[in-house]
Amino acid sequence: MTQNKTYDVVIVGSGISGAVIAKTLTQAGKRVLLLEAGLTAGMNLDRNGNYLNYVDYLNTFYQAEIKVPNSPYPNIKDAPSINVIDMQPITATNSPSTTGYLVQAGPLPFASDCLRGPGGTTLHWLGSTPRMLPNDFKMKSLYGVGVDWPISYEDLMPYYEMAEFEIGVSGNVDQIKWPEASTEKQQVALKNKYYGKNYVFPMQEIPTSYLDSIFTGLVKEINNNDPVKFNGKKATIGFSTTPQGRNSVPNPQYPYRDILWNPKKKKLEFQTKKRWNIQLNGVVDIPEDEKYEYLPVGSTWDPNTGLRCEGNASCVPICPVQAKYNALKTLFKADRTKTTIKTQSVASKVLYDEKTKEITGIEYKTYNTANSLTYETHVAKGKIYVLAASAIENAKILLASGIANSSDQVGRNLMDHLCLLTWGLLPEKGYPYRGPGSTTNMSSFRDGPFRKEHAAWICPIDNWGWAWPVFSPGSDLAVALSKNIFGQELRALLADSIPRQLLLHYECEQAPEPGNRVTIDPNYRDAIGNYRPVIHYDASDYMKKAFKAAKDLNNQIFKDAGIQDYTVYSPTIAQDYVGYEGQGYNFWGAGHIVGTHRMGSSKKDSVVNADCRTWDHDNLYLVGCGNMPTLGTSNPTLTTTALTFKAAEAILKQLEK
Amino acid sequence: MKSIDNGIAIFRDISVHLTGFTSMELTGTGMLETYYHVMVNKNNLGVVEDFLAAAAKILAENSKDPAKLRSAILNNLMPDGLYSGLAQNIITMWYLGSWVNEIISPQSYVQGMIWSVANAHPPGAKQPGFASWNVAPPQL
Ligand SMILES: Cc1cc2nc3c(=O)[nH]c(=O)nc-3n(C[C@H](O)[C@H](O)[C@H](O)COP(=O)(O)OP(=O)(O)OC[C@H]3O[C@@H](n4cnc5c(N)ncnc54)[C@H](O)[C@@H]3O)c2cc1C
Ligand code: SF4
Repeated sequence: MTQNKTYDVVIVGSGISGAVIAKTLTQAGKRVLLLEAGLTAGMNLDRNGNYLNYVDYLNTFYQAEIKVPNSPYPNIKDAPSINVIDMQPITATNSPSTTGYLVQAGPLPFASDCLRGPGGTTLHWLGSTPRMLPNDFKMKSLYGVGVDWPISYEDLMPYYEMAEFEIGVSGNVDQIKWPEASTEKQQVALKNKYYGKNYVFPMQEIPTSYLDSIFTGLVKEINNNDPVKFNGKKATIGFSTTPQGRNSVPNPQYPYRDILWNPKKKKLEFQTKKRWNIQLNGVVDIPEDEKYEYLPVGSTWDPNTGLRCEGNASCVPICPVQAKYNALKTLFKADRTKTTIKTQSVASKVLYDEKTKEITGIEYKTYNTANSLTYETHVAKGKIYVLAASAIENAKILLASGIANSSDQVGRNLMDHLCLLTWGLLPEKGYPYRGPGSTTNMSSFRDGPFRKEHAAWICPIDNWGWAWPVFSPGSDLAVALSKNIFGQELRALLADSIPRQLLLHYECEQAPEPGNRVTIDPNYRDAIGNYRPVIHYDASDYMKKAFKAAKDLNNQIFKDAGIQDYTVYSPTIAQDYVGYEGQGYNFWGAGHIVGTHRMGSSKKDSVVNADCRTWDHDNLYLVGCGNMPTLGTSNPTLTTTALTFKAAEAILKQLEK
Repeated sequence: MKSIDNGIAIFRDISVHLTGFTSMELTGTGMLETYYHVMVNKNNLGVVEDFLAAAAKILAENSKDPAKLRSAILNNLMPDGLYSGLAQNIITMWYLGSWVNEIISPQSYVQGMIWSVANAHPPGAKQPGFASWNVAPPQL
């Protein structure tokens, strides 16, 4: 069945990437069709239904035995989600591992997941939003690793500001420390250069945790007394506070009220006198005498809920009050009269004209109930097409369609942050399990000449105890019970030890490797006949060397700070276990699925250009983390969203040519 | 068979000594009745009755001597092999809101006692408010 209506743009996916495109284009007057694989219930635009659906997520989370990122959300057979719970070690008798949606060919299992459902993965992201460093865009020319980006940090600066506006970032620019600055003066100069002299975030910094103050206090003493050695040289450890996509207190100095398309100048522009009004579904002038405040966006069911973070300490997997940003907030700002949303609609293939290479439609399958075996096939038509289905799914759809791949780069260079976790007991109570997942990070090792030898990392201080590696505090209780400890003694033991838990995770930047890739295989399909992604994945010596360097550093910190080390690595503690120079290491996935359709300056070695448009098809754009040529040490979504605003601008320009 | 009131009272009183919480703290969760029924329904009735009878006896015989009470519980109720591991499962139920590995209900998760022991709150519920995490928690 072919849709008889033609839209300006057809978008696949309602995560932050698809939502930013839908909002920006419809507010500029374009007609958009959005195809979303997940359940209709999750896209409820009516307040009551929206709330009830969310409470359902919340109760499912409460009752989930293992509270992994996807635990609150429905897993649908007709549009399955990648889920870390399905991960298994890949062995001679279990190769490939086929338990979940992914077919894991190995040699190591890919360790991150994402969510197929309205709003996408931002429903369970943590919400950390640091920018990439300027040097991250030049990895090849500076350090001989991977590739350079086709654009510089400076090119992306205005779009970073748009992304920070849209997500509603809370942070303090003065508290972001530059690894290359050794004096306060250099620090200020770099801030002025890379954020602009007067730049502030939309909202003030989220308060840091008490735990942060205890840990950074201990490290300060190390810095003063006997600094650690990093790769043989003395090093001072510095911390930054983390900019975050969760509501705090609006910043009175923040000047912008909206981002709108200027059809005369053919540009997206920040506004100070106009803004989009959701109730009126149009642009309104702001009265001269209106007191300015950045307007935090509350929950999608009630504008009075979620205006500030309330410290639920469950941002991953679900913020009960939606103080944390999620993509539905952006999507609900789209012009409703210009937006058509089709849910339970799974894109399977992009159709094209063999001669002109022009994209002619998107084939999608609709299902009636979550696990029905029957489906209908349709084709959606537009002038321009945008895939926003997340990195692995975008690549899979392209491969299934046999398009956009003249460079042979589609599916390749799959990356993630490989997280080396370390955990111990602090000498005094830091009181974890409170506040957002992380509020401060160790930022000194995000850049430096060592990147020629091994990966750089950012190291967040985790506010949620040992929950991630060993499922504390449940496991602490189990250990005590196995020793027959009970009563007052049990209570006192847990009261003393759980509040002293410290967890750090060294998020190591994975370099692009052509062999780390998504492929398809006709033998592996899902319930409605769509390809399942087949993943080939490994950790190179560049990564393993970083694990060693990070662990060496961590050992010094723990020892000097009097932190009792409880870290153990073994094949049973996590599925990804590697050996390097006689030592074993586990790594965990960060959820940062990146790099499967990279951008570049030449069609020979990249899939899209600097506007996220495929080199091979003039009317096909790809948005999402798949575009990133290298990963840097930042969580990727802010950078991806900056690129998405750039893509939205390019699409509007193309439509209005 | 003991009356249900009697059963719940023994369950509550032995729970105090198994968990280290006061009777007030336990009943304050609002979960007492539910947990009693979960225990009964998840087990062979004979095992539950024997356990409660043993618990009542231990409580009565050692009411004046905490050290003796402690060792009676340690030797006669706690060992894994006794009463299908009931004592340990009861402790887990109060601390985590789960029976063995299964969370009983959304409410039982929220009422898990382990969070207050840790001076925290169940993630996703009982949120202490903006900036509360910036300072040490109030001490109970
Ligand atoms: C646990 C966890 C924590 C994270 N924390 C952070 C963080 O702190 N900071 C950060 O920057 N990033 C973080 N991330 C990563 C972040 O969530 C993602 O980068 C981001 O959400 C990607 O957005 P997207 O719109 O590109 O893709 P997604 O959000 O994955 O959206 C894809 C959308 O497409 C839909 N879709 C998929 N396939 C199809 C199909 N075939 N047809 C139709 N629709 C389809 C999906 O249902 C979904 O709506 C985290 C990830 C995880 C897993
Ligand atoms: S800490 Fe709690 S309230 Fe704040 S964003 Fe996270 S889940 Fe939401």
